[in-house]
Amino acid sequence: MLIVHCPVCGAEGDETDFHYGGEAHVARPATRDPADVSDAQQRDYLFMRHNPKGLHFERWRCDRGCGKWFHAARDTMTMEFKATYGIGELPPRELMKAATGEWAEFFKDKLAKGRKA
Amino acid sequence: MSDAQFESALQSREKPTGLSVELRERTSRGMIDLRGLPDDPQFMAAVKQTLTLDLPTAPRTSTAWGDIQALWLSTDQWLILCPRARTEELLSALRQALQGIHSFAVDVSDMRTIIRLEGDQARPLLLKGSSLDLLSADYEAGTVRRLRFAEIAALLHIVSQKPDVIDLYVFRSYADYAWDWLLANGRVVAEVRQFGKQASPAV
Ligand SMILES: [Zn+2]
Repeated sequence: MLIVHCPVCGAEGDETDFHYGGEAHVARPATRDPADVSDAQQRDYLFMRHNPKGLHFERWRCDRGCGKWFHAARDTMTMEFKATYGIGELPPRELMKAATGEWAEFFKDKLAKGRKA
Repeated sequence: MSDAQFESALQSREKPTGLSVELRERTSRGMIDLRGLPDDPQFMAAVKQTLTLDLPTAPRTSTAWGDIQALWLSTDQWLILCPRARTEELLSALRQALQGIHSFAVDVSDMRTIIRLEGDQARPLLLKGSSLDLLSADYEAGTVRRLRFAEIAALLHIVSQKPDVIDLYVFRSYADYAWDWLLANGRVVAEVRQFGKQASPAV
């Protein structure tokens, strides 16, 4: 059983009180004209997801509590929740540093900048 | 054409006997779903002026003034309880006061059914359907908690303690199910301790 902590209302409970919402930090390709988005970009945005062994970043919803979305850093091997953080935020710095593979690549320039998503 | 008449979801059910708790439906409460931003002083002032109470801003709490209560549902959502007959009047007063303020108020009196549980077995009974540690000190009088109860969405309001009075809110369409669940599980006095030390089972 996963024990999840909502960073918005502070509710704690097992995963049945929460709802998993897919991968975190998926950014829609920004453009003024949809025709400027390449098929490859659109494909990556819609379908391509990381599948890391170890530290992973996800969206969760406080389904039966306050109803708000938030972010979670979870270890896919131990199932341990390393942190939960706001939906508009990046993970704590130490977790961005601890990320490996594609996530490490993703957080590289964000670590160089400030903490705002 | 006749006016719509309120019929409670559980009015055809008999008063249960032989249960470990006292069980009844509360039909006298009107409910208003209120949304707005707690950090907007205009919103908070308009609500206070209309309901004479401060909306609770701490998660899972409630406030009351006379026969009006405000239950915290989310960071921007409250359930206002009032006498059913006063719902319309309060709703229009709220809408009047909230004009031009980013907010939302709607009558949801018939959206949920309130089942009141009374007695010291109320918590152990509810424990059987949830993953919350209802026996912990966190769940004192005034606490409001939305939860997954017996696989359905529900809301708990600890009305008072010693002896426990707890209101269980379920969506109206689940009223029969929740009532039957409470009947089925409320017959036997069973000590459930999901959290903390448990006695080892007899071998
Ligand atoms: Zn929450």
